[in-house]
Amino acid sequence: MLLHRTYGQRRQIALVLGLILALVLSACAPSGADDPAEPETTEAPATTDAAPATTEGDSEPEEPTDTTEAEETSEGGTVVKVGFLSPVTGPLAAIGTEMKQGWELYWEEHGVDAGSYTVETVYEDDAGNPDTALTKARRLVEDENVDVVVGPLAANTALAVADYLVQQGVPNFHPVTAADDLTQRLANPLVIRVGAMTGSQATYVAGQWAYDQGYRKAITLCSDYAFGWENCGGFVRTFTAAGGEIVDQLWNPLGTPDFSSYATQIASSGADVAFIGSSGGTDGTNFMRAYEDFGLGDQIEVLGNCCLLDQATLRDAGDIAVGLRSVTYWAEGRESPEVERFIELYDEAYGGIPSLYVANSYTAAHVFAEALKASEGELDPEGLVAAAREVNLEDSVFGPRRIDEWNNPIGNVYITRVEQREDGSYWNVVEETYEEVSQFWTFDPQEILDSPPYDRTNTGQQ
Amino acid sequence: MLVLQQLLNGLSFGALLFLLASGFTLVFGLMRIANLAHGAFYLLGGYVGVVVTAGTGNLALGLLAGAITVAILATGVERVLLRRVRGNELAEVLLTIGIAFIVADICLAIFGGNPMTLSVSEWLKGGISLGVMPYPKYRLFIIGFTVLVGIALYIFQKRSRLGAMIRAGVDDREMAAACGINVDRIISGVFVLGGALAGIAGVIGAGLLSLRPGADVDILLFALVVVIIGGLGSINGAAVGSVLIGVIDATSRVWFPEFSYFTIFAPMALVLVLRPTGLFGRKV
Amino acid sequence: MTGALGTKAGRFKLLGLVVAIAAGWSVPYVFSNYQVSLTTLILISAMLATSINFMAGNVGLVSVGHAGIAATAGYGLAWSFAQGHGLGTQLLIALALTLVASFVFGLTSMRTSGIFFLMATLALGMVVFGLSYRMSAITGGENGLSGIRRPELFSSYWMYYFLVLVVFVVVTAAIWVVTRSPFGTALRGIRESESRMESLGYNVAAYKLGAMMISGVVAGIAGVLSVWLMEFVSPASAGFLRSALATLMVILGGVGTFLGPLTGATIVSWIEHVLSTYIERWPTVLGLIFIVVIVFAPDGIGGAVRAWWQGRRRRSDREVARSSGSAVSADMARSPGGSQGTAE
Repeated sequence: MLLHRTYGQRRQIALVLGLILALVLSACAPSGADDPAEPETTEAPATTDAAPATTEGDSEPEEPTDTTEAEETSEGGTVVKVGFLSPVTGPLAAIGTEMKQGWELYWEEHGVDAGSYTVETVYEDDAGNPDTALTKARRLVEDENVDVVVGPLAANTALAVADYLVQQGVPNFHPVTAADDLTQRLANPLVIRVGAMTGSQATYVAGQWAYDQGYRKAITLCSDYAFGWENCGGFVRTFTAAGGEIVDQLWNPLGTPDFSSYATQIASSGADVAFIGSSGGTDGTNFMRAYEDFGLGDQIEVLGNCCLLDQATLRDAGDIAVGLRSVTYWAEGRESPEVERFIELYDEAYGGIPSLYVANSYTAAHVFAEALKASEGELDPEGLVAAAREVNLEDSVFGPRRIDEWNNPIGNVYITRVEQREDGSYWNVVEETYEEVSQFWTFDPQEILDSPPYDRTNTGQQ
Repeated sequence: MLVLQQLLNGLSFGALLFLLASGFTLVFGLMRIANLAHGAFYLLGGYVGVVVTAGTGNLALGLLAGAITVAILATGVERVLLRRVRGNELAEVLLTIGIAFIVADICLAIFGGNPMTLSVSEWLKGGISLGVMPYPKYRLFIIGFTVLVGIALYIFQKRSRLGAMIRAGVDDREMAAACGINVDRIISGVFVLGGALAGIAGVIGAGLLSLRPGADVDILLFALVVVIIGGLGSINGAAVGSVLIGVIDATSRVWFPEFSYFTIFAPMALVLVLRPTGLFGRKV
Repeated sequence: MTGALGTKAGRFKLLGLVVAIAAGWSVPYVFSNYQVSLTTLILISAMLATSINFMAGNVGLVSVGHAGIAATAGYGLAWSFAQGHGLGTQLLIALALTLVASFVFGLTSMRTSGIFFLMATLALGMVVFGLSYRMSAITGGENGLSGIRRPELFSSYWMYYFLVLVVFVVVTAAIWVVTRSPFGTALRGIRESESRMESLGYNVAAYKLGAMMISGVVAGIAGVLSVWLMEFVSPASAGFLRSALATLMVILGGVGTFLGPLTGATIVSWIEHVLSTYIERWPTVLGLIFIVVIVFAPDGIGGAVRAWWQGRRRRSDREVARSSGSAVSADMARSPGGSQGTAE
């Protein structure tokens, strides 16, 4: 019986395999020549697919869609379709939701018309997962035919999505992502950072400021991945260049539950200032928990980055944080009509004080709207980014902003201090302002671009 | 001094792990199912506890609320779902994964994604001098609290009538049933107790680590490692495993920061290869 | 018992297979390129599910850590690509890492069974996740490795789809062959009773390890294909969610059924990528489906269909007054009696 069965099966397998082979062979020929090229028939014959040809081929169908889009709606304002990617589920849901709020808030306030265009936004959830983000980006580009993608949030998703969008020839506006390389070693005319600063940009100020205050020995604690490396890299570079000494550098894995051992080490390090390059959110609150438990505030000056004491952390940390200083480009307590209006607007719509992430996307929308106002007629992808690069904001919620030739913002960096407001909530007020801070600080851009990216071995030590 | 401090750091984290792992291992001992929704129970209990504590200013009320909420949920899960697939261990385990998905997602919907921590009472804030150095009161509180819970569990299991029935059920379910013990009710009771312990762990843990989406999976992993090392079903094993992992985690962060993650799993892998049932586990 | 072409069922099945493959082949001709990418993703997920299904169906061991093996292979490929190695070296490194990972999985789990196996694989998967996070010098940490390109020949989305389709068919066929081999029969013997197989002189641990290696290689292939599709790899691909979803696919489709993984992958991917656009609480939907299937259709969708099919067959068989056709040849999982007979 056994023999009989296997014999029969073998025959079956052989037949099936033969069939598959036949199909493969028969289908291969035409598939190269005419068929799935269907969506891109106008393009180079697929059989001669050299890699670069195909990447171009892939990007090509985009432009026809752009034009059809433009023609279709030319009766009213030309519709510009924006795909907005952010994680509204998953571990980053809170930040992703606030990011979305910032974008929505701007268009609610100013209306969706900008210049001769009407902005239409399609929202997608990337769950904070790079694979999902990429699939969703594909949907936005290939099914929704969006003209621009705004987002996503996390650097890992952003790098993956940017890589894909550049291949497709679709402009990519980044409201939150800080990864240095996006506007440095991987700078691309289609990729522009419009809200956040790079990971090391604001922290260059931190090192300088700490030295100017008379601190000479520093210990750092940064997240152990690109964002943390860049944060610490900026601080260490300027602090040591000025003549300061780094006593020790600690790296906490992202999502470290228990910061007690780091707090203990910081307290006993003998340094006189501790720079904390936190990724914010949970890592921020977990650090603050250990900070309080071990009474770090009484033993050492703690200086936070953009995210340690942002509203996302501050809402929970509250009174523990009062008096703590940070180096950041978003100061919700800055005295400026622009900021006050923005906070009021947010409070009405969602309640509370807007976080860094709301401000980032709000500014992204602001820059985007200005870029549209400066454009005319049919939008070409690089032209749109170029128009955004020319945007010069006298006062945004971040203060004066313009954009450098690598598509990265130049603007104010503030030394802030946490204070309690009359209504019991907490915010960061400005103590000192550094103006016109570029992503290269005062260093020679080429020197930075030529050196390897910051990491645990290349810490910026001078 | 640094050594002593790190040891205490490890002990207090280990204490939290014990609160979590004891419930997990208790359920496993009797029901032979690994409740993979345990992390989600922890998260839910934690959120409820944090909110109630913040509202009332009373940690005890928060603990109670967290424990009761999860106990109610566990009762529902056991009665409505697990009972239907009783006896099919794999189906039971996989069912708990589905529950974990839903509970975590609903937590996100209700409590939002912002990290939340417990606002501990005034008398637990700050540090206390231990002679050679100051140490956070709350961490010492966790150690003390956990020791109490551990003793209570021990007495309950070894000295009480109910505990004896549970032990009988663990040893031989059929025989226990034949002796007139209502094994079904015991199983429900233990599952609910396990859930309540997870809820308590969530509230206590929220004073140490913040709650956020995804924290359920992280903490579940720690619980898994602890019980694999200690032996599934053994409370003693959970105690030893918790302390071991807690101390290894804290000290390796200082002395081998490069391997701080690996050092937790090396002992687990070793145990799996050499003694698959764990240090205190019995052959199943 | 003849699964041969002579029987009506055999012919019917073959026809089904041909139609299925032809349908698969026509996808790029009919759908938009986003949908083709999505189908590619589904096929790759189905391959990962197949690797879990192989262990679950034959050895009775359910893993929730296979995404870890797939991600290991993916990282191997991505890292060597970033280092500038050629395609051959990339694949070799990916294969080597897959074998190492599978070996570690096998070694730590070969003495366990049931829930212990499940928990051990869960923990091991998390180890891979943790290591990919923390060995940031090699893996890029949280940010992952991006800018990976697939071989030139497959750089267009539809050529890549064909590659994945062919690999999927080949892998599925290979698994089918292994399952029907004496090795597969011995595995099912182990599933039914380890002690009996041991007393028969089988080295049970070695068989389990071997099965894990085969399953691991399939997972590794899925990992490589996935990196090529995304042109990117990050710790998330090794995460608990990935592993749990892959296992969910197997359960949904029906453990041990042949097309189960594909069915499951289609449903899960559709919820994750399409439904999530319209329903924010999609993880709850997934959880509910998971629960409903386990409680009401423990054999999965494939199992339910098969039960229906067998019922129909039995009726028609009675009509023809012949009983030999009742063992539908696609039934791989639930014919332990017969299989053990052959093993002996």
